[in-house]
Amino acid sequence: MMDLENFLPFLGEIVARWLKGFLPVWLVDVIMMVVVGLLIILLMVVVVMALTLLERKILGRLQDRLGPNRVGPYGLIQPIADVLKLLVKEDIIPEKADKLLHFLAPVIIVVPAFMVWAVIPFGKKLVAADLNIAVLYVIALGSVTSIAILMAGWGSGNKYALLGGFRAVAQLFSYEVPMALAILSVVMAAGSMSLQKIVEAQSPLPFVLLQPVAFLIYFICGVAETNRSPFDLPEAESEIIAGYHIEYSGVKWAMFFLAEYINTFAISAMVVTLFLGGWKGPVLPSYIWFFIKVAIMVYVFFWFRATFPRLRIDQLLNFSWKFLVPLAMANLLVTGLVVKLDLGYWGKASAYWAGNILAGGLALYLLGRFTPKKALA
Amino acid sequence: MFGRGLLKGLYTTVKHGVMTYFKGYKHPFLKRYFTEGPAPRLEPEGVGLFTLQYPEEKYAMFPRFRGALMHLRDPETGQPRCTACGACALACPHGVIEVIAEGKGKERKLVDYRYNLGRCVFCRLCVESCPYGAIEMSHEYELATYENKMVLHLEDLLKIGDRSGVTEQGWAWK
Repeated sequence: MMDLENFLPFLGEIVARWLKGFLPVWLVDVIMMVVVGLLIILLMVVVVMALTLLERKILGRLQDRLGPNRVGPYGLIQPIADVLKLLVKEDIIPEKADKLLHFLAPVIIVVPAFMVWAVIPFGKKLVAADLNIAVLYVIALGSVTSIAILMAGWGSGNKYALLGGFRAVAQLFSYEVPMALAILSVVMAAGSMSLQKIVEAQSPLPFVLLQPVAFLIYFICGVAETNRSPFDLPEAESEIIAGYHIEYSGVKWAMFFLAEYINTFAISAMVVTLFLGGWKGPVLPSYIWFFIKVAIMVYVFFWFRATFPRLRIDQLLNFSWKFLVPLAMANLLVTGLVVKLDLGYWGKASAYWAGNILAGGLALYLLGRFTPKKALA
Repeated sequence: MFGRGLLKGLYTTVKHGVMTYFKGYKHPFLKRYFTEGPAPRLEPEGVGLFTLQYPEEKYAMFPRFRGALMHLRDPETGQPRCTACGACALACPHGVIEVIAEGKGKERKLVDYRYNLGRCVFCRLCVESCPYGAIEMSHEYELATYENKMVLHLEDLLKIGDRSGVTEQGWAWK
């Protein structure tokens, strides 16, 4: 039987060897890099097409509907129809727009969304670039998105777009802080910033069991980072119509859409890599385990969207600065203490677990005890 | 504890999502037609699919629904009951109906019956004025057409009547 685990790296090896027969080594390296990059981009575009359909199907089911079922059997060709419609749509540039920013924003937003995938390990040997500062790289790329959104909001010359841009920047900055702190406790526990090393550190227990509080903080911040419901204030339809991408149509709008879904998928992949053991799993090949776990996390994203109503802007910022940041700090403190203690693996694991439960339970208790009822309503 | 409401909400939505696979969606491949009448959601807290896939599935109209006019046949002879007396045309407030007949007295015979759907207000005065019980309002409500064919003729109206299965005027008013 063919070894599924090593099939793709083996294929790459064969092609590289064949090319080295008549090409200089540096050119072969460049070609292999370009091919891998194109493959990842292609994979992401296909994944986004699948996600658009899945989101509408799952949302429909959660709302007692069927979802799209008109185009093709069970609506399976719906994404292709959507893409065709977006590609042939007229590209409108408003008269009052800042033309350069208006043009650049969709380009800038989609580039970091693809770039994140360079470091995410799809499988045991399937990672485009195993950087030793991969975590830092992912956080940095997440920040670029806010610049693009502000550009789109300012460049459109529309008050709703500008309002959406402001909201997006406030939200992204606020939620990057607890997100980075939550990742930091994982990095401290794993002892490395390389995502492959972090995955390997999650054996036998994944970090979701050792660091449940960090997991929750990271996931909530991830939902906020991707501007998805219930944190979809920057594009709140009922308040500011569509937010920063209100003046975009056709392909440029599709770029924002693409970036949003790739980011959703990337955050799910990061959650899986950092907390759910990445590609680890029995029997099946590692990349299949990776995609199964990511699919579950994506489902949770859609589930959140079907369940929670949108927050107000003050609730959003309060939740980040007054709850998530102190909790992440407390978690970091616990993690730092445990890392320094000499307890052995299981001792450390139980200490992490106990510390997390204590910090999380205390935080939830304090939040329920001291939050004024008015702020919750 | 704080956050219990969030978990409860998540449980509610996933329950609804799962139940759509078990309730209300009995025939994944077949078309469903409701013939018993409108099938609304029975309980407010109910679960399961309740949307109607419109062109394939339709609610039956309530009995006294007034759709397009139709002609009824005599069940014994199979001929239209209309005698071309013209009472309906006189009763119509909008001049929707035009009865075309030939012959005089006992020889008078119906040739064509033009019913202008575009101007009809579905008031049913024509049906009430008919002394022979020859016409009735049908349950047809998909009246849009691609061409300008708003005038229905006798054969169209008879076709609607045959399709409806109604043989007697005023069946819903008894």
